[in-house]
Amino acid sequence: MASSESVRKIDNRQLIEERWRTAFENSAIGITMADFAGRYFASNKVFQNLLGYTESELYQLTFLDVTYEEDRRANQELVKELVEGKRQHFEIEKRYCRKDGSLVWVRNNVALVPGMADVAPFWFAVVEDITERKQEESARRYSEERHRLVVETASDAVISLDESGAILLANPATTRVFGYDPAELIGKPLTVLMPEYFRKLHDDGFRRYLTTRERHINWQGTELTGLRKNGHEFPVEVSFGELTKDGHRVFTGFIRDISERKQAEEFRKQAQKAIQTAQAELARVSRLTTMGELAASIAHEVNQPLTAVNNNSNACLRLLANQNLQPDVLRQALEEIVADGTRASAIIARIRAFIRKAPAEKNRLDVNEIIGEVLAMMGHGFEENRILLQSELAQALPLVLGDRIELQQVLLNLIMNGIEAMTAVTDRPRLLWVQSRIDESGDVLVAVRDSGAGLGLEGDRVFTPLFTTKANGMGMGLSISRSLVEGHGGRLWATPNSPHGAVFSFTLPVAAGSPS
Amino acid sequence: MTGTPVVFVVDDDPSVRSSLKFLISSEGLQVESFDSADSFLRRKPPDAPTCLVLDVRLRGLSGLDFQRELAAKNIRIPIVFITGHGDIPMTVKAMKAGAIEFLTKPFRDQDLLDAVRIALERDRARREQEKEVADLQQLFKSLTPREQEVISMVASGMLNKQIAGQLGVAENTVKVHRSRAMEKMHAQSFVELVRMIEKLKSPSEKAS
Repeated sequence: MASSESVRKIDNRQLIEERWRTAFENSAIGITMADFAGRYFASNKVFQNLLGYTESELYQLTFLDVTYEEDRRANQELVKELVEGKRQHFEIEKRYCRKDGSLVWVRNNVALVPGMADVAPFWFAVVEDITERKQEESARRYSEERHRLVVETASDAVISLDESGAILLANPATTRVFGYDPAELIGKPLTVLMPEYFRKLHDDGFRRYLTTRERHINWQGTELTGLRKNGHEFPVEVSFGELTKDGHRVFTGFIRDISERKQAEEFRKQAQKAIQTAQAELARVSRLTTMGELAASIAHEVNQPLTAVNNNSNACLRLLANQNLQPDVLRQALEEIVADGTRASAIIARIRAFIRKAPAEKNRLDVNEIIGEVLAMMGHGFEENRILLQSELAQALPLVLGDRIELQQVLLNLIMNGIEAMTAVTDRPRLLWVQSRIDESGDVLVAVRDSGAGLGLEGDRVFTPLFTTKANGMGMGLSISRSLVEGHGGRLWATPNSPHGAVFSFTLPVAAGSPS
Repeated sequence: MTGTPVVFVVDDDPSVRSSLKFLISSEGLQVESFDSADSFLRRKPPDAPTCLVLDVRLRGLSGLDFQRELAAKNIRIPIVFITGHGDIPMTVKAMKAGAIEFLTKPFRDQDLLDAVRIALERDRARREQEKEVADLQQLFKSLTPREQEVISMVASGMLNKQIAGQLGVAENTVKVHRSRAMEKMHAQSFVELVRMIEKLKSPSEKAS
């Protein structure tokens, strides 16, 4: 029985050995054995494939032969410790040099198997190929290094927060932007970097985002106000990013000081505004001087022959009164009177021809737009004269066919007249109404009403050339305006305003094809 | 002797110039007209009261510049300005510089003729006064130096005795010089003599 038992024992051991061998051969991990001197004497397929050597080739080599030069020393140290009994086994990450010269990263678990009676001690190593992991690791390290470099050298402040809103990290540029040393900020709430009035808003927004994930502001390039350590507020542009790490959310903000940019923008805006003001003023002045100069030159031209006619007629009357008029003297005087009358009408004809010669440029125009332009041209004219301006402009007026400059001139003239008519008014508001609408016959009507002195008995005479009720007037504005409006096929007239002042109205026919 | 008054008209517009000439001459005044300041200056001034009717807007030189030029040349002719479009500063400037009137065209004929009459009258008075002073100067020159000395001292209010003391002569001698001088100056009285000397002292003083 004993023998059969020992036979069973032998069978059993064979079975176990067989199993171990199979496991060894078929292991997914490299397994190898070397003698005490380090020479391989056994290895599985995985290990052989890892190094690219055949089994017989491998048994010519020691583990040091296939270990990459740079890793040999560390390997030998550990071997020594193991031999000296300082440790039971060791782990090492190292590189093998494959048969084809390429390197492969491995993680080895090495043990020195003690010798038995008929078996010398030998090395046993389990070898795991970690090349892929190493590559990933190195790639990650490179990328982290690169990001760290970007953050460290960035000119914008880069600040990371945890979910409580406390600062985890601040880069060196934070000092330049906010005046705080990065170390001072760690653990502090982000709100120390914002003005008081913005803190609650931020906290509420931050909390709301954490629960709802709804963003209430643009996370890329939002302009906010920052607070420096010295208490100064300054404009910043902020961009956020979010990242989840180990189940916690981390927020990183890039904060740029845009004081200079803002200032430059402000300068540009101011400059642009100044240019616009100057242009409007120039346009206004040139309109006025053109009108004024034209009127002055017409006045002078017409005045000369009129003066001569007056003088000659008066001289004749005087001589007649003295019964001292000789026929040839009378004839000569009368001839001169006729000549001067002719000369005056020739001047008028020349002005008419001149006006006609400059062909008006007729375009389809929105009268409300022209009203807007003229009011802009007036600039501070209303405030300076303490005039209250009211405009009632009809919506969606049909377009008219006209010359923009001429219509501007007409309107400017009527408004200037209105203002001048009110300069003496002190006992009531100085009101100037500008109105646009469609009249009964379907024309566009523009009315300018003032609360000034009114026209009195003068009525329609204001349209007569050289007639004026103004101390410094040339008496040409309204007559020119009327001829300009009539040149557009419209009418210009004056009516009394109730209870004070005058209304000057003009109509313009609607352009063909314009919806009315 | 003084000749007939002459009104000068300077205007570069032929119709205005001719009509002004006709209007002013219809009042029986003698008129001469010029188309420029230069042609007026070339005319030798007559020995008679004159005035100038001047257009402000002349070709080249302006009327106001011309007024200044005449003053610089010490030609003291009264000026009536006429203008097509005169503003207040221009008027003030002309009046300050001594213009008689500043009329804006077309003006009332009576206004112009009144201004011309005032101007001629003022010129006549000025001329008269200047002539009187010139005549007195003539008479004064006919005195001996000692007579001139004595009556100057008399006019300054000194007594005969004081004059005699200062000149180192007898009081009677002073009296003789004084009566001779009065005779030569055609002075009817002592008071008239004093007035004559006063006029001579300030020959530039105007009648106005």
